[in-house]
Amino acid sequence: MELQDTYYNKSEYVETASGNKVSRQTVLCGSQNIVLHGKVIVQSDAIIRGDLANVKTGRFCIISKGSVLRPPFKKFSKGVAFFPLQMGDHVFVGENTVVNAAVVGSYVYIGKNVVIGRRCVLKDCCMIEDNSVLPAETVVPSFARYSGSPARLIITSLPEATPDLMTEFTKSYYQHFLPTATV
Amino acid sequence: MAYLVQPDYVKYVCSCGQMKPITNLYFCRHCLKIRCGFCICHEVDSHYCANCLENMPSSEARLKKNRCSSCFDCPSCFHTLSTRATMVQPRQDPASGDAKVENKQPKKMYYLSCFNCRWTSRDVGIPDQPVASGGWPERVNPFANRFAQLMEYYKAIAQQEKQEKLDKERKKFAIRGNYITLTDKTGLTGAMARNRAGMPSSESTSSAIANFVLSQATEEVEELPDDYHSREVNLKMITTMPQRLASPEWQAQQVSRLQPIARPLSVKRSQRCRQCDHNLTKPEYNPGSIKFKIELLAFYHVPEVKIISYETIKPGVTSALLLKLTNPTAHEMQIQLIQPNEVPEIEEKEEPKNIEKSLEKSLNLEKDMSWKSVVERKPTLPSAIKVNNPELTFTLAQRDDAAEYDDDSHHDTNDIILWRKSNKLALRLQLTADENAKVGLPAVAVVALQYTYRNTVPPTSTQPRDHTLYTTVTIDLGIVSQ
Repeated sequence: MELQDTYYNKSEYVETASGNKVSRQTVLCGSQNIVLHGKVIVQSDAIIRGDLANVKTGRFCIISKGSVLRPPFKKFSKGVAFFPLQMGDHVFVGENTVVNAAVVGSYVYIGKNVVIGRRCVLKDCCMIEDNSVLPAETVVPSFARYSGSPARLIITSLPEATPDLMTEFTKSYYQHFLPTATV
Repeated sequence: MAYLVQPDYVKYVCSCGQMKPITNLYFCRHCLKIRCGFCICHEVDSHYCANCLENMPSSEARLKKNRCSSCFDCPSCFHTLSTRATMVQPRQDPASGDAKVENKQPKKMYYLSCFNCRWTSRDVGIPDQPVASGGWPERVNPFANRFAQLMEYYKAIAQQEKQEKLDKERKKFAIRGNYITLTDKTGLTGAMARNRAGMPSSESTSSAIANFVLSQATEEVEELPDDYHSREVNLKMITTMPQRLASPEWQAQQVSRLQPIARPLSVKRSQRCRQCDHNLTKPEYNPGSIKFKIELLAFYHVPEVKIISYETIKPGVTSALLLKLTNPTAHEMQIQLIQPNEVPEIEEKEEPKNIEKSLEKSLNLEKDMSWKSVVERKPTLPSAIKVNNPELTFTLAQRDDAAEYDDDSHHDTNDIILWRKSNKLALRLQLTADENAKVGLPAVAVVALQYTYRNTVPPTSTQPRDHTLYTTVTIDLGIVSQ
């Protein structure tokens, strides 16, 4: 099924020179520490905590409504330290999802209402299904599909063409994310 | 990706008759056939630990019972355990003088902890380790000896039977096997190599059979404790079934006896066409890599059909269906829409290779085709919905990655072809549902495509480069409504 057009209010979104579309209704803390590498969509009510540590995303990432990108911390004997959050290209983050991961690879699909625990590592090409909770410090291998609370590997793995499917998905999402004609 | 989060609206008919979405299908360039997971051969390419991404050779993996030596799963919730460090003051030992102890620096000690259920290795009394990874006490299966004996016995029997068979066959054919599998899955490779060289099988074979002690059933069974039925049970202290089955050798009954479970290894697999034995997919060796050395997926070779939109299907009413067709290959494609019953039946014929055949037979290497009868079926294609655009032919340009930066789209559009964009086009088809189609039943339209395919395998003189192939597609259009 081809993706349908999604429309946004033109006055609500800021489009940068590199093609990022960022809603004005977002909380971007420490914006000097946030790097969006182009053609990234950050939808309304998303929170990116750049004040804690650097947040970097690749190209064609989609941060859906109400999701939170928050760099993870680690406790040491002398207090805590925050680690940067890195995200690859073509990553989809669903609605109301909290991402505390240290690394999110490329071509990753994170469903809605998901919690990704502290310092998780999501390798390239993996999928976290809707309503899952990934406990802290989990490593999700490539082509794996995790689901449930606590999230576990499920048997049906992702097809080999996942990188292309994900590329097509995020690109067509970007192309179908259009300003409303009027206003 | 829409494929992964949506139901499979469009399904292709595999050459074995299964119906699968295009993402689950493979395309053998040598047979020029669509293959699915049921009609290909899955092979283990390499073992690796999904947590630490460490590769393990197959022989080592076998030795370690396909488990990682440094990663552990929680025995309580099966999440991966993390190593935590603590500073420990060396314990005051009253026996040895106090002065000596005070000089010692606090030491870093490590224990395992689960971040999901908060289980720690201290809960069950496993002593902390001075090193961060490894060094955890290995548990030995209480029946390890008996297992080893049994393994040895059955290996010997397998070896003996193989030997007898080969001896029989050797009289018929002078030449024997052409290769020995190097993966050594059965542990018989050494014996096979010895056999090949004409050396007698090792003496251990016969001795293992002779010395084997059969299991004895006993009459006397340990009696249950007296309070077994009257004792009050604290369910919190007793392990659940999944917890017990996670470590079948020990099956701890009390929570306090749970031990970390060494993490099972994952595999990278390569897939092979069962008909021609060519590789369809072969992953790169590196566990972190998502690339493939060989990747013959239907997604890259067969025209892709996607639904853009459709009108609801009503009995006896003509409705429109918008489809998007994509040519994933690097060559232009001529596509013709045909009725599904016009697809010619192509029997897969075995090339007669008499000499090799008999050789294969002698080695028991003959291809086992029994899978085919199990998997193969005639696809039942519903015919309630008819496509009204008969014999529609069009050309689809090759895939061009740079095309997305071009703006000029062709405008040779008409009633049927709505738009074209590089290697994609949108089709408007007219569907008519049968008057007798039952309301409430799923509406499935069937379309067959005839398409030209240029084979990029280096051509031999006998084989043409261009082929005309067929594929049948079923399109799920919801349910027939009133």
